[in-house]
Amino acid sequence: MPNRVLVVIIGLLVGVVALAVDLTAQNNSPGGWRAPDWNKPPITAANREPAPRRNLAGMWAPADGAGAGTQAQGVPSKPNNGRPENELPYTPYGLQLYKSHHALEGFDAVLPTEDNDPRNRCEPLGVPRYNHYNVRLTQIFQDAYKVAMLYHYDNRWRVIWTDGRQLPKVVDGGVDVGGEIREPRFFGYSVGRWVDDYTFEVQTVGVMPDDRVWLDSTGRPISEKAHITETFRRVDADTLVWSETIDDPKIYTRPWETMRLPLRLHDPRTDVQEYYCSPSEQENYNKLFGSGASSKGAP
Amino acid sequence: MKSVRVIVLVAAIGFVLSASARAHHGAAAFDVGKKVVLKGTVAGWIYSNPHCLLSLDVMGEDGKVVRWMAEGQAPNVVYPVGYRKDSFNFGDQVTVTVEPVKNGRPMGRILAAVLADGTTLGVANSSGAPPSPQQ
Repeated sequence: MPNRVLVVIIGLLVGVVALAVDLTAQNNSPGGWRAPDWNKPPITAANREPAPRRNLAGMWAPADGAGAGTQAQGVPSKPNNGRPENELPYTPYGLQLYKSHHALEGFDAVLPTEDNDPRNRCEPLGVPRYNHYNVRLTQIFQDAYKVAMLYHYDNRWRVIWTDGRQLPKVVDGGVDVGGEIREPRFFGYSVGRWVDDYTFEVQTVGVMPDDRVWLDSTGRPISEKAHITETFRRVDADTLVWSETIDDPKIYTRPWETMRLPLRLHDPRTDVQEYYCSPSEQENYNKLFGSGASSKGAP
Repeated sequence: MKSVRVIVLVAAIGFVLSASARAHHGAAAFDVGKKVVLKGTVAGWIYSNPHCLLSLDVMGEDGKVVRWMAEGQAPNVVYPVGYRKDSFNFGDQVTVTVEPVKNGRPMGRILAAVLADGTTLGVANSSGAPPSPQQ
């Protein structure tokens, strides 16, 4: 009999705690539409959980906060701030191309009416620029054959094949897939493999030519000759470190690392607000604000 | 303790706003660091990509009403710091702090807002935000 009383008391306590947790959650999720939690406690030895084996699935976002994935000043490992240590190893063609890009961000940014960023025409950004543009909530799903990434910006998705297929070879005008010449793509052709139980490596080739896409928001170039290597390292249950190196001999004289971005696991039920590039909304914004704000003088 | 919490909250909001303020376009058009406090009547509030836009009728010292346009960030950016589709309604009396554009037009980007019901959003001093970890 005393045991039954004890069970009832424990049950009530659990219920009260669950109710409190639920009410707290509701404050951040009206009607169940859960908002992102950008104030998570840091991962410490006390709350660190082991990483699951060969698993990237989840709702991920920059561990250092909402602004950490913006990358407005260029790729995180080499911000475009004019400092000598952040100068890139351009080929003569790469430097010429960079100078032809008039970006709204970075060391030599121009006014909004003077830019030629393909983003402002709502062109697809392509890989790798989706990795460097307002990375916020990024969802990853996986099955036995592939890993799929859902980018927040412009609701774009990407497939990385893990079924053992070969990485195509870069050739003039596209890629060679088993002797067949295929077209370049905004997301390229990606294959991935597990280097160990917690490290997933992705190779991408066959991206769009350099007159269609940029590397980052400061106008750094990338070309169809690029070979992009990404590494996703699951440090623990809540932390994934996303690194990227590009090897593009047309634009850069040597491979270089663009980012090492720690991501934090978020609640899988988090509502992802749309962040589309809509041409009509862009036009309306330019009409109401962008053009006037960047004109040379007062009316 | 309460004041410390307020400072931390304001700094956090400032970080989110300042980092994302560079998200869509650069700072080249803005007089960075300058602040203008506008008290006026809401004429419109567009909660949309790529930027939210607030139009505000402000009475000048000469008695003339000037319509200001102030931009916020995209909804997915400003929602976590409290800006909602109905934060501003036509006819509301509000106070908005903006970082003005350089060219002298009545335009700027929202650094802080005091809504009609007294709710304070954003941060009054962007320089109070911690530096972006990527810089």
